[in-house]
Amino acid sequence: MIKKIDTTILTTIIMLTIIGLIMIFSAAGKNYFIRQTIWLGTGLLFLLLFCQVTPRFWSNFAPIVYGLSILSLIFILVHHSGYPRRWITFNSISIQPSEFAKFATIIMLASYLSTKKSLKKFPDILVPLFIIAIPMFLIFIEPDLGASQIFFPILLLMLYWSGMPGAKLFIFFSPIISAAASFSIYIWVAYMIFLVVFLYFHKQLYDLIYGLITNLLAGLMMPVIWNSLKTYQQKRIISFFSPWLDPRGMSWQVIQSKIAIGSGRIYGKGFLSGTQKKLAFLPERHTDFIFSCLGEEFGFLGIAITIILYIYLFYKLLNLARETKNRFSSLFVIGVFAWLSYQTFLNIGMTMGLIPVTGVPLPFISYGGSALFAGLMAIGLCLAISKHKMIY
Amino acid sequence: MDEELKKFKIVRNVSLLFFALLLFTSLKLQLIEGRKYYRLSEENCIREKYIVPPRGKIFDRNNIELANTRPGFYVSVTRACVDESSLQKIADILGIKEKIIKDRLHLQKNPYVPVKIAHDITYQQLALIEEELEDLKEVQVGVEPLRNYPYQDLLFHVIGYVGEVTEQELKDGKYILGDYVGRMGLEKFYETSLQGKRGVEYIEVDARGRELRKLSEKRPCPPIPGKDLYTTLDVALTESVAVYLSNYERAACVCLNPENGEVLVLYSKPGFDPNLFIHGIEKSQWQIINKDLNAPMFNRTIMSCYPPGSTFKPFIALAGLDSRMVDKDRYFKPCFGKLRLGRRIFKCWRPHGRLNLIDALIKSCDIYFYQLGTFIGIDTIVSRIKKIGFGKKMGIDLPNEKEGFLPNRKWYEKRYGKNWTSGHIYNLSIGQGDLLVTPLQLACAYTVFVNDGKIPIPHLIKTDSVKYIDTGISSDAINIVCEGLKGVVAAGTGILARLKHYEVWGKTGTAQNPHGKDHALFIGLAPAQDPKILVCVVVENAGHGGSVAAPIAGRIIKAFLTQETALTEK
Repeated sequence: MIKKIDTTILTTIIMLTIIGLIMIFSAAGKNYFIRQTIWLGTGLLFLLLFCQVTPRFWSNFAPIVYGLSILSLIFILVHHSGYPRRWITFNSISIQPSEFAKFATIIMLASYLSTKKSLKKFPDILVPLFIIAIPMFLIFIEPDLGASQIFFPILLLMLYWSGMPGAKLFIFFSPIISAAASFSIYIWVAYMIFLVVFLYFHKQLYDLIYGLITNLLAGLMMPVIWNSLKTYQQKRIISFFSPWLDPRGMSWQVIQSKIAIGSGRIYGKGFLSGTQKKLAFLPERHTDFIFSCLGEEFGFLGIAITIILYIYLFYKLLNLARETKNRFSSLFVIGVFAWLSYQTFLNIGMTMGLIPVTGVPLPFISYGGSALFAGLMAIGLCLAISKHKMIY
Repeated sequence: MDEELKKFKIVRNVSLLFFALLLFTSLKLQLIEGRKYYRLSEENCIREKYIVPPRGKIFDRNNIELANTRPGFYVSVTRACVDESSLQKIADILGIKEKIIKDRLHLQKNPYVPVKIAHDITYQQLALIEEELEDLKEVQVGVEPLRNYPYQDLLFHVIGYVGEVTEQELKDGKYILGDYVGRMGLEKFYETSLQGKRGVEYIEVDARGRELRKLSEKRPCPPIPGKDLYTTLDVALTESVAVYLSNYERAACVCLNPENGEVLVLYSKPGFDPNLFIHGIEKSQWQIINKDLNAPMFNRTIMSCYPPGSTFKPFIALAGLDSRMVDKDRYFKPCFGKLRLGRRIFKCWRPHGRLNLIDALIKSCDIYFYQLGTFIGIDTIVSRIKKIGFGKKMGIDLPNEKEGFLPNRKWYEKRYGKNWTSGHIYNLSIGQGDLLVTPLQLACAYTVFVNDGKIPIPHLIKTDSVKYIDTGISSDAINIVCEGLKGVVAAGTGILARLKHYEVWGKTGTAQNPHGKDHALFIGLAPAQDPKILVCVVVENAGHGGSVAAPIAGRIIKAFLTQETALTEK
């Protein structure tokens, strides 16, 4: 049975986790290295176990898996004292339910969407939106903005993959853009002109009416709602979204991270000899900013190898999603693809100052048992799917 | 199927685009800008640490240390890394307000450079900090050289003091935060040579600004200690002067070597202990000092301007003799204690009868000098007096020396109009009225009698090349006045300055003062044949020069000539 596993995906994953272990050893020392190794070992066992489970099983039990993960999210909100409420702790092991919620939500979405033969209308979006909205909201109020935002690209890509036209998706979600743009009258007017032209060429009357009304409402209501808020409420919201509102205002962390990566130059400063990392200039250097350590100690060479490994992994996943005949399996794989690739881009882009800082870990490399475990579980399922990809 | 492929291609291409963007960004950071970021990473963790050089010592003429350095503990804090609780803790231990510390930290622009927040902490404070150092990781304690003045307030005005650099001085860029700057006296005048040059060592630090190790790769530059200052001051004599003046609140004393202008004593009372400035003086304390009516910060020897009183008479005599308008046997109207000028009556302190020039000096007769002054005229007086150095700075190597004031015809005309009268010349002739001199000027003026018409520039640093002002006054005139000065102590108003084994000559003075009792003045020289010391004593609001200042001057001269100090004498 094991022979049939797609070894290229497995090898890529193992190579990435090894890079992760090396960097964790360098950035945080032996203890973290040992703990992550234990997580990796058990995680790989689970991966092999998941390889043996047919995708049909997951498709059938999707509501239960999803329900359990929602319950665990509610559980930490209720039972955890102090902020942020992200972990369930058993003895010395902490589990982060938000990581498993991503996995469960993808299964649930795939399961739901696979039952729908054609998605062409706006109402078809509502149920999937509801499915992601629950975990997204629960994680948002933990609060963990980084983890909650991952759900949105997953939904978009899965809807798109299940047949929803891109234009429809854009029109449906366009009021969000309108509301965001309404903070600057010039941007909003420019956006509205673009929208009108887009809707005109889209040539669908109902979409046009929906698009115009919702966008106008969102754009006009937003400033009214905003101004009706008390100053302290505004401040609270601004501070919550500050990295996104001020992407150019680079924080200390990002400057140090850029220095770390840039100073690595071609070949890096060598294993264990990064000064930025060693002297604690880098924050979160074994979790969110582990990529900066990699860049500092192994230079462009190390970064290029890592990014190419990621590209290869994501290409294989995308290919798998295309080749898989089963609709549930295909949707699940594309969901995993969206999750991992978006998170990877977000993390690396953040360390290089391309996008604002939101704390998301780098898949398979950052220190953290839950994220690694959830990732390995998802990949295990993908491997199982690859064995059964010719079955409808 | 076609639809599937289309979606696949779109997703693949969009994703590839994003990941290519990541690769290009890292290419830009590491290959194109790599050199810049490498330099930044070096600067991040390597810090230049300045080493304070020990300030040059100041010695007296017998190589006794007047100012030296001692080790002191300081506390420094790195602004970027310190947290509220640590700040509060350290503020509690040091007894400084947290806000004051914060203001101080903000003086340093770079938040990663440690700032010294307290100097010279006590052993008790040190112990408390050391105990808590684990919790106060952004706080460091170190040793630095601090200024020390063993003689405390005795030499305050002439040595001066050092204080911490001010915000204004920091802007010039010559100093860095935590430096000490000479603020007064010799410390200020010789600041550049005393200061030395600060050294640099390179230290590896972590992100919290903690020092990890000295960097061996970059060679440190050791500090150059400040140059020592060897002065002409005589601290033993100054101690005696302080003892002799201990009964008076405000006084000034200048002792010179009249032959070469070396300053032996420059004592002003009251003083202040300069060691208190090292610790950093508090605002309230500072206000007390500044409001003190006795003005302890004021160096009376070079900054206070007094009317010279009768001590000025020898120079009027000198002017008359040098201009050959009078000789030593010149008589004027005898003194009956009063002289009428128009409606005003000018008095003498007692009737003297008929006097010649020398007797008039010995008895210090005002009536004689009123007549002498008007007889030779304002222009003759001013032209001679000017050469002797009144009305301009002597050029001693101290900051803030005052010029005093010497009026002339033009000034009188401007001030009092065309009808200024002989009354003004009367006043000038006995050293009262508008004329003002500093004790140093007065002391220097008397050296003219020793050096055959030349006046050495007073100085505090030993030197081989002494500069002289040539007054051009004839030695005949000088000899005649000297005869009078001898008589002053031998049988005249200055008799209380007389010593057993040495012949002293000098002149008393009583300066009238509209604000209170008269100032007592005396200038004495000894031994008469070859004067080795000149003493000028001014005691404020103490009464007559002959009764108050003369005996003090005599004791000072004795202490110097016999090498006895006031302490051994007792």
